[in-house]
Amino acid sequence: MIVKNIWEWDKRNFERLKKFQLHHRFKKIGALLFIILLLALIALKFIESEPALLKSIIKNGLLVGLLMISVSKEKIEDERIVHLRQQSYQIAFVLGVVYSIALLPLVNYVVDIILQKEVLDFSTSTWEVLFFMLVMQIYFFRMMLKKCQ
Amino acid sequence: MKNTLKVERAILNLTQDELAQKIGVSRQTINSIETNRYVPSTVLALKLSKLFNKPVNQFFTLEDNE
Repeated sequence: MIVKNIWEWDKRNFERLKKFQLHHRFKKIGALLFIILLLALIALKFIESEPALLKSIIKNGLLVGLLMISVSKEKIEDERIVHLRQQSYQIAFVLGVVYSIALLPLVNYVVDIILQKEVLDFSTSTWEVLFFMLVMQIYFFRMMLKKCQ
Repeated sequence: MKNTLKVERAILNLTQDELAQKIGVSRQTINSIETNRYVPSTVLALKLSKLFNKPVNQFFTLEDNE
């Protein structure tokens, strides 16, 4: 009986998680947050002593802004939109993996050679990968929506 | 899969927008179905069937290579 209840509770939560989406207005809020934080990040470059903590908060805020755009509903959220969204997540995931295992280390390596660094960096940053995946998802989703107008 | 959604819609004298509102989808979805860019789910196909008062396979048909 207890196991069955736990199973039911788990199933209910999973269904809720699958359907989780923000209201359409969060798309605008996310975009606004993203623009403001992007400008703040650019402005931070002109400050002589770049505060590391502030930079980290802004960068994480950028991800939150993109995530808000990504998970908020369209004005009319129907099955075609759900289908297009699934496709865009699929594309973004594959591109994210390719980017993190091939492109990003290569870019870091080339930049290090150009900057003539002594220790070459092949590492990938979580933030860069997440940023890339979210941007790709939003880009492909908007592109597919436009194509199907 | 091909369909005669446009014809069925014309019979009922409905615009894409009106049909979309009747079955709870966007106008773009109706347009995508009519131009064969999107294959609707069974639920949506049955909603259309109810509205047109015709079986689904009368307005959705498989192509020869399917």
